[in-house]
Amino acid sequence: MTGGLTIDRIDVSYGPRSALRGVSLEVAEREIVALIGSNGAGKTTTLRAIMGLTPPDRGTIRFEGTDITRLAPPAVVKLGITLSPEGRRVFPQMSVEENLQLGAYLKTDTVEIAHTMKRVYAYFPRLLERRGQMAGSLSGGEQQMLAIGRALMAKPRLLLLDEPSLGLAPIRVQEIGQIIREINAEEGISIVLVEQNANMALRLCQRAYVIESGAIALSGTGAELAASEHVRRAYLGG
Amino acid sequence: MDILALLPQAGLNGLVIGAMYALMAIGFSLVFGTMRIVNFAHGEFYMIGSFVAFFTYAQWEVPFALTILIAIAVVGVAGAAIEWVVVRPLRTDELSSMIATLGVSVVLQNGALMFFGASPRPMPDVVSGLVHLGPAIFSASRIFVIVAATVVIGAFWLFMQKSRTGRAMRAVAQDQEAALLQGVDVERIFPFAFAIGVVLAAVAGVLMAPVFSVSPFVGATPMLKAFIVVILGGLGSIPGAVLGGLLIGMIESFGATFLGGVTADMLQLGVVIAILLVRPAGLMGRKEA
Repeated sequence: MTGGLTIDRIDVSYGPRSALRGVSLEVAEREIVALIGSNGAGKTTTLRAIMGLTPPDRGTIRFEGTDITRLAPPAVVKLGITLSPEGRRVFPQMSVEENLQLGAYLKTDTVEIAHTMKRVYAYFPRLLERRGQMAGSLSGGEQQMLAIGRALMAKPRLLLLDEPSLGLAPIRVQEIGQIIREINAEEGISIVLVEQNANMALRLCQRAYVIESGAIALSGTGAELAASEHVRRAYLGG
Repeated sequence: MDILALLPQAGLNGLVIGAMYALMAIGFSLVFGTMRIVNFAHGEFYMIGSFVAFFTYAQWEVPFALTILIAIAVVGVAGAAIEWVVVRPLRTDELSSMIATLGVSVVLQNGALMFFGASPRPMPDVVSGLVHLGPAIFSASRIFVIVAATVVIGAFWLFMQKSRTGRAMRAVAQDQEAALLQGVDVERIFPFAFAIGVVLAAVAGVLMAPVFSVSPFVGATPMLKAFIVVILGGLGSIPGAVLGGLLIGMIESFGATFLGGVTADMLQLGVVIAILLVRPAGLMGRKEA
């Protein structure tokens, strides 16, 4: 596979503590792939490994044919992968618009940046209303929109979303889900969706992986996993 | 002497000293904010700035505008180099990097002592004459310092607010990892932030060289006061540094004029303690997340 992302048997550790063991995962072009699992299972670590924040000890990560295993985050961003991180991590003392501008830090074409920003505002009209407001004063849901919008500003071909539904009211979760689907369809961006909310993730994705104690336990289409006895008992509350 | 005649003079001196403290504090705060490093050598860059002013302007009679540019170039390059050679290898260890900057301070101060000697050198004013404002008469050289410092602080503010690099520095200060995720090459930002921080100290040194004298030890007091101003204004806040600098400068000037220098110093610290009791994060500071 030349397009998309291929993770081949990576091991990741934080100091002496092993976080991922032999994780393999594939994301095809234009695909939404969900990665579900409980707290501490290794979901966030997988995304950090892709971005180059926590490089693997072993194994390889390839994106569109390029080996990105040891690249630093700015180089990974440049190749077309961005992350909307866990906990949103917006820049609190900057305006909404400045946060978005930072998302386009590696872009130099101001016309293109303005155009992308317009698209982001179209997805999240709420952000347009609040463009001059400090990001730290936004509600949790608005900050989540900003984090996703910021990640879109670099015009990625692969978007990594870490727990976009965390801490949001159910109605907002639906909204975000709808927007994720639109972004995928309209922009043709592949998406890795990391979620504890397995319900939402399995409905949105084409394929999904279940990660348990640092290793992939199950994989299949969203529908297959939603039907699996194990997933239903462990992640869907019934 | 008439007390009413002293008031405007004390006010003007307060502005001069305050502007200098603000410049010092902004630079110190920039380095701490982006790199989490307490730069104990900050005052030494003030000292280098004042020596550059002495040699280029007083000795070689270079135009003053050029003197400022030379100081910016010399200290900027030196600052980036020091970040690269001394601070960078110790980045992951805050305590060691602090001690390293203390070492840089000792080396620079003693280097200056070796080459230039300990005796203070006077430096001529950059502009001469008097300015009449209503009934009050001010020395033009003092007003020049205030104007020049305001221009530099304004330029720095614009750079931080409007430029791509300035925005990246603020991002690094607020969340280093999130900045990295936007593609900001943090390793390239650090020497730049360090250089700009110490350049601001050098500019303060250049501007103040005619007001105070020039010697290897002139950096100590501005450094100490910058410390106080940064804590008072709020760590990492540029408006806080300006406000804090002016406040400390005014207390110092009025205190020294009417109560004497020793009392002024005590008063200064008393006011700082009182303000911090009410606002622990400083005048414009935000609580650390």
